[in-house]
Amino acid sequence: MTEPLLQVTGLTRAFGGLVAANAVNFAVHDREVVGLIGPNGAGKTTVFNMIAGSLPPSSGSLRFRGEEYAGAPAHRIAQRGIARTFQITSLFPTLSVLDNVKLGTHRHKNTGWWAAACYSAAYRREEQEVEAKADAVLAFLDMGPQRNRIAQNLAYGDQRRLEIAIALAAEPVLLLLDEPAAGMNPDEARRLTETIGRIRDTGVSVLLVEHHMRVVMGICDRIVVLNQGNKIAEGTPTAVANDPMVIRVYLGRGNGDA
Amino acid sequence: MFWDIFLQQVANGLVNGMGYVLIAVGLTLVFGVLRIVNFAHGEFYMLGAFVTFFAIKLLGVPYLAAVLLATIAVAGMGVLANQVLFKPLRREHEFTILMVSLGLSLLLANGGEIVFGADPKYIPSPFADEAVELGPVFLTWQRIIVLVAAAILIGLVYLFIRFTTMGKMMQATAQNRDGAALSGVNIDWVHTYTFALACGLAAVSGALLGPTAVIFPTIGEWAVLKAFIVVVMGGLGSMGGAVAGGLLLGIAEALGANYISIAFKDAIGYGIVVAVLLWRPAGLFVARK
Amino acid sequence: MTGLRIPGAAALGIALLLALPLAAVGDYFQHLLVLWLLFALMALSLNIIVGYLGELSFGHAAFFGLGAYASAMLTVHAGLPFWFGLLASAVVAGFFGLVIGYVSLRIKGPQFAILTLGFGAILHSVFINWIDFTNGPLGITKIPPPRIPLLGFEIRDGVPFYYLVLFFLLLSAYLCRALMRSRTGRAFIAVRENDVLATSLGIDVFRTKLLGFVVATMMVGVAGCLYAHYIKVITPGLFTLHYMAPMIIMVIVGGKGTVTGPIVGALVYVVLLEVLRASGSMRMLVFSVLLTLSVIFLPGGLVSLLPKWRGQGGREKAND
Repeated sequence: MTEPLLQVTGLTRAFGGLVAANAVNFAVHDREVVGLIGPNGAGKTTVFNMIAGSLPPSSGSLRFRGEEYAGAPAHRIAQRGIARTFQITSLFPTLSVLDNVKLGTHRHKNTGWWAAACYSAAYRREEQEVEAKADAVLAFLDMGPQRNRIAQNLAYGDQRRLEIAIALAAEPVLLLLDEPAAGMNPDEARRLTETIGRIRDTGVSVLLVEHHMRVVMGICDRIVVLNQGNKIAEGTPTAVANDPMVIRVYLGRGNGDA
Repeated sequence: MFWDIFLQQVANGLVNGMGYVLIAVGLTLVFGVLRIVNFAHGEFYMLGAFVTFFAIKLLGVPYLAAVLLATIAVAGMGVLANQVLFKPLRREHEFTILMVSLGLSLLLANGGEIVFGADPKYIPSPFADEAVELGPVFLTWQRIIVLVAAAILIGLVYLFIRFTTMGKMMQATAQNRDGAALSGVNIDWVHTYTFALACGLAAVSGALLGPTAVIFPTIGEWAVLKAFIVVVMGGLGSMGGAVAGGLLLGIAEALGANYISIAFKDAIGYGIVVAVLLWRPAGLFVARK
Repeated sequence: MTGLRIPGAAALGIALLLALPLAAVGDYFQHLLVLWLLFALMALSLNIIVGYLGELSFGHAAFFGLGAYASAMLTVHAGLPFWFGLLASAVVAGFFGLVIGYVSLRIKGPQFAILTLGFGAILHSVFINWIDFTNGPLGITKIPPPRIPLLGFEIRDGVPFYYLVLFFLLLSAYLCRALMRSRTGRAFIAVRENDVLATSLGIDVFRTKLLGFVVATMMVGVAGCLYAHYIKVITPGLFTLHYMAPMIIMVIVGGKGTVTGPIVGALVYVVLLEVLRASGSMRMLVFSVLLTLSVIFLPGGLVSLLPKWRGQGGREKAND
């Protein structure tokens, strides 16, 4: 079996005396959607933020495409091909939808101030590519007609889609989604599920933290379940749904969202 | 002989330091409770000094009564500034509020130059000339008053915040503004009281420190910078930190001016604040209200 | 093949600027024009930090002063030619910008403003007290006029000086425009609007801020040099709020985040300089009222009024 895209080994994070994540192990493979679930306080966000690089691990290993990266600065991690969204809507509010998405292309372009000042051929070519890529991503998410609207004026659901568009513009290999379905109605949630599937089909792997069970069950190839910092189950949606430990701790409480 | 000079410098430093603390307390209050960085704070110090001056010169009021008058008048001006500018803008971005306070600062300072005249003035205080001998140390009565009054006032403010209803409302607003509003705290009143208190304190410090030197309409620039240094050292929003920071600054300046170079006295303060901000950006004594 | 794209309005503006001295009546008007361009260059440089990066630096006047003193001391004391002083201004200001920026830009919030204010105040204190080196409060006088190397003639003042400053202003304006249509400029705006999101897109926030800061300080260092060789006398007053406050106000009243904004802001300041010639306090009073009104009612500055006049109000817009 080839090396997984993302290998999480013994990932631990303590805040003073509180161990938020305890020696968590799992992997994400190519073209796979993995869900990270668990009750409140399970440590999902902590694990997620360590993988994304916005929180340094206390100990453990994070390997992406075979290279260890735990503790690396967040912008370097992003440059390697991991993109992420945020739990609370995070956009460039006063910029247009198009400009927001264009910013996503930053990591895989090269030209800078000097090239722009000289108006070089490389600069002109890249600007065209950036615009084309941004439009392509918007089309992929059915947001083409909104390209010139100001981000902060969009409806909530559209803003969440815009966040994904910005992340996709970075052409990531691994996309981390932090509760993408939060606050969504059933229609929007269904649409999101379908979108994540299409993203996977383009060859991008997805790791998502989510409470919305329909979305999780609907799109994840595998699910990892955390409880109080520990991994308690891992497997296909069906396997996890039938795991007695999971049922006891999480699903059986009847508070999974519709 | 060494100890005499040393103790004198330390005494000077303590007095200056308490003065700085008194100036700074209002600034840190406004930031801690309302999250407003008020660049115009120094101008309320200046107004306190000038109202005192004119109360004595034009109204013939005795010095201490003038101080009281100035405190109340300038506290009122602070409330006015709050009503007109800071309260209506409280939902705006931090940057906007900072710029507005800068505008107010320039307005008051330049307005002061036009109305009061740019020439330096002396506040005639009966305490400023006589000195008292405390062992090897000489201090004028004015400076002793500054020390004592500052200590008393700061103590009173502390008690006010800890134990009165309004004080607790201020604490609540400082910790969690929206939560406080939801639990019934009247944020408008908190705004008003905080500004009244802060500007009143600034005025008192101007009225008390004024007679130790000359006053001029642009003195607010100096005052607010000292206040910033103290507040930054102590941590924005921490009163205990402000006290410690102010005393540290006062003593460091006095010793530095005497033993290193009087010319660079001001630079010492800035050097300290730069060093502190780089080493402990949250302040030397992290705020825990 | 490289080419310059200059949109119609900008071309008109440049033509106007080029032609302006010809319409000028008298030496005093010429003087105001030169001052306008000098202030415009100062404001344009501060705009990079305040407008593009969204950081409030209160120490920018210090770099202006550093540039002025660097060139003044080299030309007056060491007898070196003007162009050397010019180069030195940019290098000295930029070097200090690098050092101060490197230590300051990691600090967020109002502490950054206070920190830069503190650095400015330290430099002021040094320049006013280190009399052996800087001549203290008396400053440096008899600063020689610029001498163009190949052509050999001196630029005393008036029209030739106007064109000298205009050259640097247009160059700087072009660089700012180029920045804003480049990937680097997009990164600046990303850092300003949402630095956490910017980081998640691979942008090195600290390096981006540092780059903008250093370029801005080099630019204002050049402005300082030109100022010194124009006014011919400089004092440590350059490092104070007396220069810092107008700079900030020009950027904000004119319109931060744009190229024309700071130029318009500088124009307003120079107009006030003339109209309220008698009273510096009155001038600053009016200016501070403008600042307050602008910040509250017209956050985009005076230039944000232009699209409305032109009837383009309907188009949603955020920045240049």
